[in-house]
Amino acid sequence: MFETIPLTHILIVSTLMFFIGVFGFLVRRNLITILMSVELILNSVNINFIAINKFLYPERLEGLMFSIFVVAVAAAEAAVAIAIIINIYRRFSSINVEDVSEMKG
Amino acid sequence: MKEVLFYLFAGLLLLFSILTVSSRKILRAAVFLLFSLVLTAALYFLWDYLFMASVQLMLYAGGIMVLIVFSVLLTHNIDHKFDPMEFKKIIFSALLSLVGAVTVIYVILSHPFKTSALAAAPISPEDIGRGFLSYGENGYILPFEVISILLLAAMIGAIVIAKKTTK
Amino acid sequence: MNLQTFLLMRHEIILMIIILVMLAAEIFSDDKKNTYNLSIISIILFAIHTIIGYLPGEQGTLFGKMYINSELTVQMKNILNIGVLIVLLQASQWLRKPENEGKTTEFSLLIYSTLLGMYFMISSGNFLMLFIGLETATIPVATLAAYDKYRNQSSEAGIKLLLSSALSSGILLFGLSMIYAVAGTFYFEQISSNLATMSHTPALLALGMIFFIAGMAFKISLVPFHLWTADVYEGAPVPVTSYLSVVSKGASVFIFTIVLYTVFKSMLVLWTDAVIGIAVATMIIGNLFALRQKNMKRFLAFSSIAQAGFILLGTVAGSQFGMSTVLYFVLIYIFSNLAAFGVVSIISYSTGKESMNDYKGLYNTNPKLSLIMMLALFSLAGIPPVAGFFGKFFLFMASAEQGYYYFVLIAVLNTIISLYYYLLPVKAMFIDTNETPIEPLKSELLPKIALVLCVVGLLVIGFASPVFEYLKEISFGI
Repeated sequence: MFETIPLTHILIVSTLMFFIGVFGFLVRRNLITILMSVELILNSVNINFIAINKFLYPERLEGLMFSIFVVAVAAAEAAVAIAIIINIYRRFSSINVEDVSEMKG
Repeated sequence: MKEVLFYLFAGLLLLFSILTVSSRKILRAAVFLLFSLVLTAALYFLWDYLFMASVQLMLYAGGIMVLIVFSVLLTHNIDHKFDPMEFKKIIFSALLSLVGAVTVIYVILSHPFKTSALAAAPISPEDIGRGFLSYGENGYILPFEVISILLLAAMIGAIVIAKKTTK
Repeated sequence: MNLQTFLLMRHEIILMIIILVMLAAEIFSDDKKNTYNLSIISIILFAIHTIIGYLPGEQGTLFGKMYINSELTVQMKNILNIGVLIVLLQASQWLRKPENEGKTTEFSLLIYSTLLGMYFMISSGNFLMLFIGLETATIPVATLAAYDKYRNQSSEAGIKLLLSSALSSGILLFGLSMIYAVAGTFYFEQISSNLATMSHTPALLALGMIFFIAGMAFKISLVPFHLWTADVYEGAPVPVTSYLSVVSKGASVFIFTIVLYTVFKSMLVLWTDAVIGIAVATMIIGNLFALRQKNMKRFLAFSSIAQAGFILLGTVAGSQFGMSTVLYFVLIYIFSNLAAFGVVSIISYSTGKESMNDYKGLYNTNPKLSLIMMLALFSLAGIPPVAGFFGKFFLFMASAEQGYYYFVLIAVLNTIISLYYYLLPVKAMFIDTNETPIEPLKSELLPKIALVLCVVGLLVIGFASPVFEYLKEISFGI
């Protein structure tokens, strides 16, 4: 019954989500919101992996396994990013990209 | 029923994603991100990927979001509102993303996907556990071990940066 | 699977043991004086590891072809080892600064972990291992870039590196998901055999490959994905910059070449066009920016962008000769770039001067340093008889052999432009006069050893043809 939803619809949703994330990454000026955009991107990739695994290649769990690893990597990335962001905040009292940028040219 | 739920979830997912990247209050953006992550978990539940759904809920919604909200509260005044973004920049980024999205969607629509005839058997956590611990083909013990090195190194690095030095 | 098969992973296992030993030693030593001794011990251990790497060993695959060990991957790891050893030697002076007290051992721990990630990345036979190796090789480097907590630029470099690498992993993964949709697996071998059976290349696969190339281009800092490079290279501490621009870049180029040659070999026509386009843009933009730089670190950073464009000449060739030139060039590039960074770092630590104008008249006060710098710049520019000349010459040959004459012509023109800016510092050091030249410097023992290693490498490798012959023997083409 559920298989009536074509895979393409799911992939379109995740593609849109991916590019919304890219848009956020380009447009946002605040470091934490940039990080949020990255999480959106990684999340959309995970949807892709799971959906392809489920509808095209259900005999092996490769996509599922991959997405679990992606989640773990995303967690490590977020933890390190936040450690650096808080350090930046201590120095600048701001985490906006313009305020942080000391280097130009 | 499931179809209706899927399209409902997908629509909400996109709505909250857009709100995440456009909201001018950072805490709201964080909450919208939380909603999109939870909705993703709901999709996994729909597809009977229960383990992945719970991983998504615990790690993303429970772990990463807590980190993000925590750092938002540490670094921001809650009432703080971002300045509106530069118009030129929005147009440029939107155009770039739109072109990318249209290209990818066009290619996806033109690709003949052959849906597997196999009725997907429900995946038990046992299968996943065996996958993580076996070392033959389709065994994932090596990446499982390597990622522990990544986590160790990330932890050491984060501690080095965040710790107070006696100075 | 028995214990002996694990010997295939000797590089990884020995490095892992070193990491654990250093971690335990760090935990159990609380005396501050010990930390310097610890860093010496860690360098000695790593030197032993580098030598062990050259011992002959067996080849094969492990973990259901997730891990591939061949003579080629072993030599790639050995090349990276040399680079890391030199970086560690150069870093010792920086690590002894008072603000780095209490985090000296962590520096080598983080370097080793990222190197381990690169090992697994190079040896991967599955995109999952490639991805995890790549992340292990990047995330801790971001913390290294942010190491100087008391310098604002350093934190900025760290966060810029981390966020841009996160975006690039997202792009890479998106591409991988498309490849997975078409090929149905992540194993390199199965993908390439599945693709070989297809009568025509599906558009989805081509798009996936383009996303993959874009994601890797971020890591190798190729144009148009190079925007993060200059700020990160300038802001990060000098040893980290040299590590990023030499070792990280080299490792990414290696696996990029391997994947293009194995997984996408049936799509040769498609990716050569894409890679040539990126390479041309990279050479030109890298050169144009390098021309204008007055800060030595930024100058080296932009020139390293241009160098990455040259490396792609070998990748594009798609032949056995092409791959061996990539290895050979990276080996030489390690020596030349690290020699240049070594001199810059010695001067920067002792005097804090980084501008090109400060280098005026350096030859009168520090003749040895100036000569080494000159040698390194000549090698980067490709002036005979230094090793860099042969590296570039072989790259051109590899590409010309496959008939990419226009591409080679553009590369030669770019080399000529690069001559101009590589000679600017040489002119400053040897010809220009300066009222207040940098006073004669006495460098410490370890950085000195590093410089000597670089100089020996620069002079010997250019003339030792067996090195290139050997690299060619172990390489493979399409």
